[in-house]
Amino acid sequence: MAEATKIKAKNEQGYWAFVNKQFRKKKTAVFSLYIVIVLAIVAVFAPFLANEKPLVCKYKGETFFPVLKDIAVGFGIGQFQPQFQNVDWKNLPYEMVVFAPVPYLPMNQDDKCIHSVGPFDTQDVPSARWKHWFGTDELGRDVLSGMIHGTKIAMTVGIVSMLIASIIGILLGSLAGFYGDENFQVSRVRLWGNLLFLFFAFFYSFGARSYDITDALGRGLGEGFIQLGISILIFTAVMVAGNLLVIVLKKIPFLGKQVAVPFDLIIMRVIEVLNSIPTLFLILLIISIVRKPNLYVIMGIIGLTGWTGIARFIRAELLKVRNLEYIEAANSLGFSNAHILFRHAIPNALSPVLISIAFGIAGAILTESTLSFLGLGPADTVTWGQLLSYARQIPQAWWLAIFPGFAIFITVTTFNLIGDGLTDAMDPRLKQ
Amino acid sequence: MKPVEVKTEAGKTEAGKKFFFASLSFPLFGYILKRVLIFIPTLFIISLLTFILISAAPGDPAETMLNRTSGEGQAANRLATERSYVDLRHKLGLDLPIFYFAPTNLAVSDTLLRIPIKNHREMLDRLTYQYGNWAQIENYYHQLKALDIAVISTKKDSTNADTLIELRNTVAKIFIHHEDNVLSPLLADLKTQSNSAANLTEVKAHAEATEEAYIKMKSDATPWKRYVPLVQWSGTHNQYHRWLFGEAKWFGTETDPTLGKGFIRGDYGISFFTKRPVKSVIWDGLWITMLISFLVIIIEYLISIPLGISLAVRKGSAYDSSVTVGLFLTYSLPVFWIGTMAIFFLCSPDYIEIFPPFGLGDATWDDGFFYKLGDLAYHLSLPLIIASYASFAYLSRQMRGSMLTVLGQDYIRTARAKGLPENKVIWKHAFRNSLLPIITIFASFFPALIGGSIILEFLFTIPGLGQITYAAVIQKDYPMILTNTMFAAILTLVGYLISDILYAVVDPRISYSKK
Repeated sequence: MAEATKIKAKNEQGYWAFVNKQFRKKKTAVFSLYIVIVLAIVAVFAPFLANEKPLVCKYKGETFFPVLKDIAVGFGIGQFQPQFQNVDWKNLPYEMVVFAPVPYLPMNQDDKCIHSVGPFDTQDVPSARWKHWFGTDELGRDVLSGMIHGTKIAMTVGIVSMLIASIIGILLGSLAGFYGDENFQVSRVRLWGNLLFLFFAFFYSFGARSYDITDALGRGLGEGFIQLGISILIFTAVMVAGNLLVIVLKKIPFLGKQVAVPFDLIIMRVIEVLNSIPTLFLILLIISIVRKPNLYVIMGIIGLTGWTGIARFIRAELLKVRNLEYIEAANSLGFSNAHILFRHAIPNALSPVLISIAFGIAGAILTESTLSFLGLGPADTVTWGQLLSYARQIPQAWWLAIFPGFAIFITVTTFNLIGDGLTDAMDPRLKQ
Repeated sequence: MKPVEVKTEAGKTEAGKKFFFASLSFPLFGYILKRVLIFIPTLFIISLLTFILISAAPGDPAETMLNRTSGEGQAANRLATERSYVDLRHKLGLDLPIFYFAPTNLAVSDTLLRIPIKNHREMLDRLTYQYGNWAQIENYYHQLKALDIAVISTKKDSTNADTLIELRNTVAKIFIHHEDNVLSPLLADLKTQSNSAANLTEVKAHAEATEEAYIKMKSDATPWKRYVPLVQWSGTHNQYHRWLFGEAKWFGTETDPTLGKGFIRGDYGISFFTKRPVKSVIWDGLWITMLISFLVIIIEYLISIPLGISLAVRKGSAYDSSVTVGLFLTYSLPVFWIGTMAIFFLCSPDYIEIFPPFGLGDATWDDGFFYKLGDLAYHLSLPLIIASYASFAYLSRQMRGSMLTVLGQDYIRTARAKGLPENKVIWKHAFRNSLLPIITIFASFFPALIGGSIILEFLFTIPGLGQITYAAVIQKDYPMILTNTMFAAILTLVGYLISDILYAVVDPRISYSKK
């Protein structure tokens, strides 16, 4: 057993070492990886890089860290000191102060630099320290600050929406690929019974309690969660009770007959339907019925519409994997199908999915900036696409057209290059 | 390897033609028929999906269309608007259930849908949830409405003016509340208010009746009905059926022109925003999008196939590596950025002005065919370039890749070993086989173009399908969104079909006949 583990570890190491080596051969991909790391750092430290509040200040004999405090307040820990509430941070009589490199927040309007002042125009600012290096937009908001905070948005959208898409895609794709149309066998009564129980469970947990839940959510998150918890309990109870009943009913020969659930057929049809509606149309359709799209809604929509590629990828991979010897071996050792699927099949099919994820992040960032450009993106934040869209309204403001667009371009390209590098690195045809 | 000039070979077209006709045999037609038949359930599911999504949209379309604020004005006035509102809801079919069947419970009644005012519908829904006896709830609502009318139709005089205003406010509040701890005091207020002034006997009677109905509703409550699941069958009398199939007669002449014919008979409803039939708006835009997509496809394939081949043939040369990097970068350039920049720097008098920034020109076909054509070409040139460059880069890369794969095959080596000239090897042996992957791409390419039309037409203000959809989303014009999505889906499916047919035409190994 110990021997086997060692061999397995060595093989695994061998594969990743190989991928790593191949990946490092590709200079552009490695360089892109560094750019992504820089972008990630900018995203994480955005509040320290561009902020109207000082990083450190000494005020009336006391030392404060307003940016840190601001982050803590954002998390709901603590409150701002009373002397700092509703103040003009720029003009407080500090004894000592260190501002962020870009001393503006993306939503702050500089009243002296409205109507889009360019980087080379004369700017009405106290000193070069306060210069708008990338200019301002129509309302006098600093473009550089918007770009720094936009990095945060872009990276979050890319990663979170791809996470949603990956979870759905891997789950459905592996069900379709591993079980196919024949291999998932259940008794008749369990199949039809569970569909029926699902209806009842939804009915009693959510349908019949709809207003209880919404009212509780309206009163507060805590009460809402209690009500939701009760609903989930009811749901589970109905499902468990139903399945206990199934065990009894299975004794009847007609009901106990094994039938196959055609996962592949169902999931592939769903993918076909989703792919038949051009993605942007589908996204616009969903956005049109959402009252006010915020960042979470946008991420959810991109994730929910973007999983089909990953699902197809992993399905194709599992179609190959499920016929390999080790799966057969696991089968003959008596492991359950679910165990084989989650412990043996999916982990081995997962690495190629990294490629789709890399391309998917690029796509998600592009989709978000497209939506923002069209004016349908998250309304509560500044994004790259949004900044770019202002350029359409002001024909002289070239800085609004060039900088945000370039940021989108760089980010999308780096993720594409990483995907490209991974494709080459993982391509078994090169393993010679 | 010798570089090869990119040129067409004389013999190729004839061979292609012969082959094309050979493949258009019966099995292919059978296959096409089969595919088209498969489209029907797919389209059906898409229509269902989009329709249900749209039905879940917040807001009341009839209210949006009438653009009215409910519950204001004098009695006659208010009754008139309410009447027109009910008529409009009926005309739009909003008083019907959404689908053929719906999971619901014993307490809910479908009469609820016919209640004209949205706030009232919500209030009544709440009451149903609470008390579960629709008959009593309906009675209470009727009493409340009668009271409302009594209040607004009572003549004002110096003695009761203030009381009437108070009464009105109270009634308005009662209409939107369902909680017992709010309603009971309000109903008590009603009584004291109607007692406080003279000439209010009628109002007083109604107030008492309302309170009585309310108490009856409370005492006869059957909240358990909410827990009895019920699948309500509405038959063909539902919104979805009405939208898809229409209500007009299928055969013979329809006497009632107000009845719709439904989506599958080409009746797409009326736009909420422009109040024009959706059909006329869509057809105006559809041909533009089709034209642009068609031209873009031709341009892209015409450029990228020779380019990809020339790159593959000179693999490893400086030409290959530099163009490949260039193609990768162009591929990653977001269309909306390049479009914005192009409009910025190429269409503006501040910089260089060579292209018109927006629209399709003012010329009509009456100005002369060639004049219109020239105008159209002038206006379309920049959009076409912008729409083409991104996927042209992608296509060329794919073409290069597939050509390289083919050139590595044994039969190519055999052909070379035979001493065939390189030209012949490339065009006769490798070319057709290398086309397969980029034909498959067509299937994903066409939907991308249709989807991309939203951005392109937004950028250049071209009144095509994309621009119409965008405007409809902004205006929340649901019939338009629904129809546009359906058309986008139909076009996509047609694209898939074309790609399948091309596949069969190019690859002799693919046979659609049954073995």
